[in-house]
Amino acid sequence: MHIHAYEKLWLALSIVLILALIGTVTYGAVGPGVAMVADSQSTVDAAALDEDERFSEPRVEQVGENEYEAYIVAYQFGFEPSPIVVPANSTVTLHVTSRDVIHGFEVVGTSANTMAVPGEVSEITVETEEPTEYGLVCNEYCGAGHHVMEGKINVVSQSEFESRGGDSE
Amino acid sequence: MSTAIESEQTFVDKFPDEARVVRAAFLSSFFALLLGAIFGIIQTLHRTDVARIIPSTDYYTVLTAHGVFMVISFTIFFLVGLFTWALTRSLDRPLLNIKITWTWYGLMATGMTLTGISILAGFVDSIDMSADVLYTFYAPLQAHPLFYAGLTVFIVGTWIAGADWFRTFLAWRREHPDERIPLQTFMVLTTMTMWYIASSAVAASVLLFLLPWSLGFIDQVNPTLTRTLFWFFGHPVVYFWLMPAYMLWYTVLPKIAGGRLFSDPLARVVFVLFVLLSTPVGIHHQYLDPGIAEGFKFISMTNTMFLLLPSLLTAFTVVASVEYGARQRGGTGLLGWLTNLPWRKPEFTGMMLAGLMFAAGGFSGMVNAGMNINYLIHNTLWVPGHFHLTVGTAVALTMMAGTYWIWPQISNKPIYSSQIGLFQVVLWFIGMALMSNAMHAQGLLGVPRRTAEPEYSGFDYPTMFGGFEELNIQIAIGGTLLFVSTILFLGNLVLTMGNPKVSGLAEPLPSPVSGAEDAPQVLDNLRLWVGIALTLVVLAYALPIAAIINRGGLLGPGVGTYPVWLAPLFDALADAAAPLFGAVADLSASVVEVVR
Amino acid sequence: MGQSEAANAPTDDVGGEGEDFDPIGTLTLIGIYFAILVLAWVYIYFVEFLGRDLVVVG
Ligand code: HEM
Ligand SMILES: [Cu+2]
Ligand SMILES: [Cu+2]
Repeated sequence: MHIHAYEKLWLALSIVLILALIGTVTYGAVGPGVAMVADSQSTVDAAALDEDERFSEPRVEQVGENEYEAYIVAYQFGFEPSPIVVPANSTVTLHVTSRDVIHGFEVVGTSANTMAVPGEVSEITVETEEPTEYGLVCNEYCGAGHHVMEGKINVVSQSEFESRGGDSE
Repeated sequence: MSTAIESEQTFVDKFPDEARVVRAAFLSSFFALLLGAIFGIIQTLHRTDVARIIPSTDYYTVLTAHGVFMVISFTIFFLVGLFTWALTRSLDRPLLNIKITWTWYGLMATGMTLTGISILAGFVDSIDMSADVLYTFYAPLQAHPLFYAGLTVFIVGTWIAGADWFRTFLAWRREHPDERIPLQTFMVLTTMTMWYIASSAVAASVLLFLLPWSLGFIDQVNPTLTRTLFWFFGHPVVYFWLMPAYMLWYTVLPKIAGGRLFSDPLARVVFVLFVLLSTPVGIHHQYLDPGIAEGFKFISMTNTMFLLLPSLLTAFTVVASVEYGARQRGGTGLLGWLTNLPWRKPEFTGMMLAGLMFAAGGFSGMVNAGMNINYLIHNTLWVPGHFHLTVGTAVALTMMAGTYWIWPQISNKPIYSSQIGLFQVVLWFIGMALMSNAMHAQGLLGVPRRTAEPEYSGFDYPTMFGGFEELNIQIAIGGTLLFVSTILFLGNLVLTMGNPKVSGLAEPLPSPVSGAEDAPQVLDNLRLWVGIALTLVVLAYALPIAAIINRGGLLGPGVGTYPVWLAPLFDALADAAAPLFGAVADLSASVVEVVR
Repeated sequence: MGQSEAANAPTDDVGGEGEDFDPIGTLTLIGIYFAILVLAWVYIYFVEFLGRDLVVVG
């Protein structure tokens, strides 16, 4: 088959580009350690969240030094707890599920973003820095009131977090 | 080649029956475009808060209508029309049985009408019917059964269309046992092969789960499973939209530019690559889904990245063919030849601008394909920004431009006004540049897609590339230009239809610079490609789907209530399948460990 | 393909004989495209994405 030399050159460049793209993503995974939402959590009965030890009480709890776990339920049309209060300068693992239909969980302007699927649990770990407030939106259409589905994530100082009694409701 | 005869006769002179089908399909397509554009402008002005003529709860009815009419109806009706033209023209023989042809057209039209009714009924409170599920219809949001039933009928119509073309091809093959498959026919057959593989999954999802569920036969479905089956279909479908545009870029654009296709063999290679790679990638739409292992997501990403290859090759081949044309017309210099091109012809300028936007869409597509960077843009307005460049312009604008060229061939009527046509395609380009660019930028601010009111009470968006409000204005202006452009296109076409018939409009298609005889014979071996494609699909999907079913069950995690008359069947199936799924899931777990 | 590897001046007569045609203009355009792609990718990945708060690390 006859392929013009220039086109061969372009073919080679294209393959280099493709490999570079895959390489960048791989670098992101091993260098800065960006991890994907995956299947680490077991499934949950969406119709009986109140009987599940993870989600019966949506909350943020301390599990180690500077380590926290948050259990968040998305529903038509909001998030629980509201607001989600987490301490600054700590590692927070968010567990997100849905009580009804598929929702999104997007912390506006950051790279924390995941789906909330009924029956499944999304687990993502993030590191908080200084105290600040983030907007939280549902970015997957979930019904006629989708556009009112919002929440807050408030990153507060460690001392303030403790004075609230640790857990946020 | 039939060039000698064609130089005298147009398509409609030679194949009047087929030309009628092509016109009918195009008109259905453009009717959908009109509806889609009306809903498009309503939602653009609504979400940017420029004009809100509907309550926000109806926004999602509008959005469902826009999505379904644009990407199911407009694109696919155009495709079946174009493919009917291309196959008949390049085989130079009529379809086997025009009654069958009208049957599939009728099925598609009926199916789309039913689905359309179920969607539009959502505006009328007194009718107890709605399908506000958007064109992705993710369970557990549930539409009226008519929505799924209509889609099924529509898809069955496309399947019969494919069979019609394959049968006609086989009849041709009997008459021409030793000839190469003509390029356009090759494109039709490979594209339809891809379509059969892809649409099988959405058919399974609708027929096994969603339709029975909406009829109340089963109580619940597994949302991750139906979502995965949707995207099994949903990624290749974007290439199904794109292939008509590629066909026009490869076979018609070089001719309009005054040249010839640069390489027939490479065109074949590109279409084969699409058959092989366009399906085992759908999980890239589920990078942020729970319940799917990271290893599967990574595999999907590598396949997706390699899928860039055929499009990058296309960019070269098509531009080189245009350059060849320009040099034939006396063009010189490194880039000076660009001025020797027929920029006054809407069919040329439209396709070129469409291609340019596709190049830009290529960049945002790379970002969408990147696994972990998906956190940045997933479900933000970046995504509609991306696909309005690809399907919304590369495809849509090429189809409009192609119409200016092809309509005279199928009707013997000259285009009413080339000037309006030229103005219209340029207007589309400007409108889309504004709208899409601002959508990408808002996406980076974190503005979500698919929402009636993206302004929230609890926070403000950060400011980059202009603030939220300013970008809204750009989106609104862009959308308005697009709407005006659509109306000009449709108006021009209606006036064209009022023109008297004339003769001498025939435009033969020249043969490529490097022709089919230069293409390895194996490229025409469709059986081989189907075999490899299916293998890749099984490799990419068997384990993820088994794992999903193993995790959540066929009908989803949680308590299920099964319909009485189906229960024995389901129990038997589940019993039979359980050990199998168990084994496959164990295997998948170990594979995932390895991949990690 | 041997002959076509020796690039002809683009001003050469390309009439009819495709074998003599070297798409140097195309190569130039697509080279520019390549450079834009690479720069834009580096920007969006390393500046926009990795530069944000709350990068998901687990
Ligand atoms: C008249 C020109 C058009 C305008 C003004 C327009 C406007 C829009 C806007 C603003 C959205 C985003 C809505 C949201 O996410 O909230 C959208 C979504 C969409 N558009 Fe368009 N568009 C136009 C043409 C097209 C064309 C030609 C196509 C494809 C052939 C198309 C396909 C889509 C699809 C598939 C969606 C996503 C629907 C969904 O999220 O469910 N649009 N359009
Ligand atoms: Cu929502
Ligand atoms: Cu895709």
